Amino acid sequence: MSKIDEIKAGVAAGKTKVVPGLVQEALNEGLQATAILEAMVEAMGVVGDKFSSGEIFVPEMLVAGKAMQKGVEVLKPVLASAGSVSLGKCIIGTVAGDLHDIGKNLVALMIGSAGFDVIDLGVDVPKEKFIETIKANPDVKVVACSALLTTTMPAMKETVEAIKSSGLIGFKVLVGGAPITPEFASSIGADAYARDAGGAAVKAKELV
Amino acid sequence: MLTKRQNLLETIRGGNPDRFVNQWEAFGLVSGDPIAAKSPRPLKGQEIVNSWGVTIRFPENTPGPFPVHDYEHKVIKDITKWKETVKAPSLDAPTEAWDAIKAQAAAVDRNEKFLAMTIAPGIFEQVHYLMGMDDTLLNFYEEPEAMHELIDFITDWKIEYSKLLVKHIKPEVIIHHDDWGSQINSFLSPEMFAEFIVPAFKKLYGFYKANGVQLIVHHSDSYGANLVPYMIEMGIDIWQGAMTANNIPKLIKKYGGQISFMGDINNGVVDVSDWTPELIAREVERACRSCGKLYFIPNTTMGGPMSTYPGVYEAVSAEIDRMNKILF
Repeated sequence: MSKIDEIKAGVAAGKTKVVPGLVQEALNEGLQATAILEAMVEAMGVVGDKFSSGEIFVPEMLVAGKAMQKGVEVLKPVLASAGSVSLGKCIIGTVAGDLHDIGKNLVALMIGSAGFDVIDLGVDVPKEKFIETIKANPDVKVVACSALLTTTMPAMKETVEAIKSSGLIGFKVLVGGAPITPEFASSIGADAYARDAGGAAVKAKELV
Repeated sequence: MLTKRQNLLETIRGGNPDRFVNQWEAFGLVSGDPIAAKSPRPLKGQEIVNSWGVTIRFPENTPGPFPVHDYEHKVIKDITKWKETVKAPSLDAPTEAWDAIKAQAAAVDRNEKFLAMTIAPGIFEQVHYLMGMDDTLLNFYEEPEAMHELIDFITDWKIEYSKLLVKHIKPEVIIHHDDWGSQINSFLSPEMFAEFIVPAFKKLYGFYKANGVQLIVHHSDSYGANLVPYMIEMGIDIWQGAMTANNIPKLIKKYGGQISFMGDINNGVVDVSDWTPELIAREVERACRSCGKLYFIPNTTMGGPMSTYPGVYEAVSAEIDRMNKILF
């Protein structure tokens, strides 16, 4: 197995203690940091697909994400000197009144693994906070909003409407969460809908 | 005509029910024991710190309270040091503190209903209340020994609490809440669930069954079809909150007789701000016709006889009555 394949397998299996060492060995062998990063992104894509199909579960996804993060920490100094390979910024948060975080965290994990710089606003995020963060990050490419309750769907609607009518441009709005449907996403003016975390990463890449 | 209690037993034992069990009608619910009172449920707009030290917030416009898990609020910040920060609530309470709930229990017509108690949160929920969901799920992989220890600790505390319930109230039915999944899958793989969660519940539910509790009703309003064999192993009699995505008719066909299913009317569908009687009629009729008369109790998936939007629970009950006239 090549070193790159070992890294991919390590990420997919959530080997948090092994991946950093493998990444360092790969760098020592002269492999390009960008190629190593791409391999890890690819591995996380497979993880996302397996999650979407029900083959793996939330812990497997989280531990794979953590393994990748550990690998990226080794790569960061090299990547910084070689220039950024980021797909852009993604602002994410659960809308006002909603404290659910696991789905939002998984989406943040997958979008981060796909190559975005994620700005996670947390849960119970007022629409004003989304807008304020977009203003502070004019290069943002994707704004992702999550709602897990039927009762907070109106808050998602208000958030998307406020973002869209703010006059701020240059980004797309992605929405998701248990009660959210593609029809609802469309009705409130969102640019895209994702059913789950793996799908959100795919959709975010399509949006930029 | 069978009493509500008899009708439930006929339904879950594959006998001859004379109507559907209408949602929670067969359970005489009592609440407010002195141990539970140490962790009061916050009212809408309130935030409390419960007796485990968990901060619980009930935002406006949400169906219920929820634990707060930013770093400052986590009780367990490092699972390997959980013993330093987790303090189980005291189980001390003067005998007379049990009088109010004993009076409630005495008022339940046992011919008509089972004397029932609801207990929440469950074991898995208690773990993630203490440290947040992400840390919980990662720690199953990264610190399994500490997680086993913590689960054992919580389970043992629950059994000590259960001894008091059995002593003072003698419940016939325990309704225990523990959500085990999202809408599309279980949180844990069946293998991980079997390792960490099943032994704890076998112990807890085994205790109840050995101490006079006739039925275990377990609430999990999530996907859990892949966990049903374990539910049976644990001693669950009725899985309440069973969502439509689980394909309840298929589960009844496969497991009916070993376990019964209560739900198939998703709150996410019917308990909405713009609900209509027509919507509820359609959902109740679908559930009743597709699931049939045995091993199934038509019910919304919320964990008690209530709804977020006024009138929904009552409208569902009325439609079940209508289906009774058509199908029985």
